[in-house]
Amino acid sequence: MKIIKSLLVGASLALVASITQAASSGNTLASVDPEADRLAMQSFFQKRFPQVPLDDYVNGIYSLDAGSREQWEEIEEFPPYEFDIEEGEILFNTAFANGKSYAGCFANAGIGIRQNFPRWDESQGKIVTLELAINQCREANGEKKLGWKKGKIAQISAYMAYTSRDNVFDVQIPNDEAKAAYLDGKQSFYTRRGQLNMSCANCHIAGANILIRADLPGPTLGHVTHFPVFRSKWGELGTLQRRYGGCQKNVRGVPQKTQGEKFRNLEFFQTYMSNGLVVNGPGARK
Amino acid sequence: MKKTISLVAALMMISGVVAAHPFNEAFNEQRAMYGKGHSFTWDGQTYITDHPEEVAAAAEANAANATKLLASAKAKYAEVMAVDFGWTLTKNLLKSSNKALEAGDFRKSMNISAQAEYHSRMGIAQYHQSQTEWIMAVPE
Repeated sequence: MKIIKSLLVGASLALVASITQAASSGNTLASVDPEADRLAMQSFFQKRFPQVPLDDYVNGIYSLDAGSREQWEEIEEFPPYEFDIEEGEILFNTAFANGKSYAGCFANAGIGIRQNFPRWDESQGKIVTLELAINQCREANGEKKLGWKKGKIAQISAYMAYTSRDNVFDVQIPNDEAKAAYLDGKQSFYTRRGQLNMSCANCHIAGANILIRADLPGPTLGHVTHFPVFRSKWGELGTLQRRYGGCQKNVRGVPQKTQGEKFRNLEFFQTYMSNGLVVNGPGARK
Repeated sequence: MKKTISLVAALMMISGVVAAHPFNEAFNEQRAMYGKGHSFTWDGQTYITDHPEEVAAAAEANAANATKLLASAKAKYAEVMAVDFGWTLTKNLLKSSNKALEAGDFRKSMNISAQAEYHSRMGIAQYHQSQTEWIMAVPE
């Protein structure tokens, strides 16, 4: 009886300890540890899907579901985003009215740099995504901004991702301000929203590879690596933040602002989680 | 042994208290099972499963009350949008309520306003709850 009592007391204390630990660590600037978060995320998926190699997560749901993968591999034989890469290359190399081009705005003339975005920009004091950098480049050269979600900006982003394929994501958190942005993105990822009261994590951690009506949500690990994507539902190319807005609408929440602080920080967190995986964008998705 | 079980029960309740107030749980359960207008007993008191907005909408259907409820629903919507936690259907509900008000269908307008205000109140509650509870979903 004493053993049973001890076990019960022990289990109770362990329960309380785990609640306390979860409630008091990782949710403040002092306690958040991005690298520990990344390793915990990888560990979660590796335990849940032990048959899936870590580097295969760049393929999203196709790393988990054999049937979907078969269809996707057939789609990839004639990639639907191929023309967009070509168009993106033309746009990227077309000079602005002032004679300058996108190459002048980026490190390494914009080639093979996708893995470094989003990044903390010290001079602006905020997270800068690749699409934001593209539009900032345009404005700096006297051109009008492009729309954020699809069309030319997605094509330019697709071309830049294509030139970065197989480069390893290496998003940096250089200071406490960047860490605060990471923490804000982390909070957004785990925060329930909308009438359906769901968070990103509900579908893409707990719900990964579990049917939601006819769809299988992909794992968050490797989510960002293949964007922008040509989505069959859209019938065209779209950016990651276009998808964020769609997800928020799906849970019946009013979408947050595209390329606003919340979405940029969310993208920063999500990309940090995929550090160590390779760029394989643009991709094709259902 | 009894002491141990009590201790376990007490410790288990800590998480329950954090998750929701017991009355809210009882109310939500009764509402989900029986819908609005149902009476139930909790802690010796009798309660009705109506939301406050529905109680307000049960007032006499006239232009003044319908206008007042719509204004209140719009104010609550502005409040939820200020914290960025609005729900998608609410805006159209407000439009529908306004349309019904203009058409002189005060009862319909009041009922729709009640629904819109409820959405916004829930969105605000969701925002406040998320500020403390999001961390519980992070895998350790």
